[in-house]
Amino acid sequence: MTGALKRIAALARLVVIDGLRRHALLGLILLSVAAQAGALLFFDFIPRDIGRASSDFILSLAWLSGFIFLFFHGVQIIALDEERKVIYSLLARPISRGEYVLGIFSGLAGLLLLLNLLLCGLGFGALMIIKQMVAPAYFNQFNMAPYLLSWFGLVTMELMLLSVILLFSGLVRGSFPVLLISLSFYAICSGLPVVREAVSQRTAREGAQPIVENMLQWMTAVFPNFDRLDFKNMIASSTSLPDLLLILLNFGLTISYVGLFLWLACLVYQRRDLQ
Amino acid sequence: MIVFQQVSKTYARDLGAQAHTALADVSFSLDKGETLGMIGANGAGKSTAIKLLMDFIRPDSGSIALLGQTPAQHAIRSRVGYLPEIANFPANLTVLDMLRFTGSTCNMEQRNVRTASEKWLRRLGLWDAKKRPLRNYSKGMQQRANFAIALLNDPELLILDEPMSGLDPIGRADILSLITDLKRQGRSILFCSHILEDVDRLVDRVLVLHKGTKLFEGQPNTLAEEQGCPNFVEGYLRLVEEEQQ
Repeated sequence: MTGALKRIAALARLVVIDGLRRHALLGLILLSVAAQAGALLFFDFIPRDIGRASSDFILSLAWLSGFIFLFFHGVQIIALDEERKVIYSLLARPISRGEYVLGIFSGLAGLLLLLNLLLCGLGFGALMIIKQMVAPAYFNQFNMAPYLLSWFGLVTMELMLLSVILLFSGLVRGSFPVLLISLSFYAICSGLPVVREAVSQRTAREGAQPIVENMLQWMTAVFPNFDRLDFKNMIASSTSLPDLLLILLNFGLTISYVGLFLWLACLVYQRRDLQ
Repeated sequence: MIVFQQVSKTYARDLGAQAHTALADVSFSLDKGETLGMIGANGAGKSTAIKLLMDFIRPDSGSIALLGQTPAQHAIRSRVGYLPEIANFPANLTVLDMLRFTGSTCNMEQRNVRTASEKWLRRLGLWDAKKRPLRNYSKGMQQRANFAIALLNDPELLILDEPMSGLDPIGRADILSLITDLKRQGRSILFCSHILEDVDRLVDRVLVLHKGTKLFEGQPNTLAEEQGCPNFVEGYLRLVEEEQQ
């Protein structure tokens, strides 16, 4: 292991240990596990399409858990490090600011991965139990590839949000502004496809609006569409997966965004004063 | 060991506040094996000078050399031990976690990390509390934990920001004797403190800062003589008083 990787791993280990001993995080994990188990009760209230609704419930819960982790634990760790001057204790060691950013990212990503692995396993178990308990007409198939792809998509989206939080933490001082700006970024990413759809419908009715359409297209480059990594509707349905090349392209693009945001975060941290 | 040449630093203007000059054309140096005490009232620029040395902030003008290199070269910090004024650690970690982290980043072998950790934790009276989360430590214990972390990699240069902060009289006496031992071993030490008696007892030379400017650099008894006072403490107080008038 090279020196830089060793230092990044040492910091990531510190973040993982700190996270695993944090009561709030342990509470979140327990709550998520309990909520996943709740899928076994939830499906009883669904009159039809139980497979689709249950998988949707499980993946949405996992998204919510990841969301809470990112915005309440991730933001706290990164921004509070600076507010409480923990960053001084860490950067007093022979670790560069870029390594600091990557170490914090790797540690939080490791925790996210652990959380998602746990929920993915539990979710699989819950879906198998539900499938056995209901008639085939309500849950006729379970597709493993879309299930795994859904989790992979979920983790990739969460990693992208984490890199965005790191970037904003470098640009803005204070945990609350970072939380607000990161939430706004997420809200725009989620809302933009809806706006684009509305504009395209209006275009079909009233004619082309090139300025608005171009602006929205460029905005998509900054605020990527998370729906492209969402495969949960295919877990229990006969809908075939999109073309492999398209899937790879979407994942590749999102991972490139993670790399770009991390690179920018390293650049910002390297240049600024830590006051 | 340290060369600070005509360094100026102004903190950028915050909303509703004016830009603030923390250091203006300050120069000083620290030679090998020397102990330099940096003193001054609150807002004199002591913490700014230390933050500049640790590369937490960057100077507007002037140059800083630390062990012959610029502070921006992070690798040199494996030869530096830094003790911050207020010890802040990730809340749920133990002192052992922080020592392991320090050892890994300084590229120390695990065996050496274990040996050095035990040596310093026993010396600083933290061995029995080594597995307790740092958040449960008293302020004095946190300060001693920080000392153990700063000394783990056997640094050539020690930068100590208020090392007696939060210590009870017994802890203070213990840290004073530790710094005296380190000085005797030939380590170069830069430390700032509000407790002038400690400074007088420990340092070879003293640097007096006031509102971001250097008022004096030299031996404590020279300061007393220049000010016509019987001791260093009174000499310092008169110097600052004259400057304020």
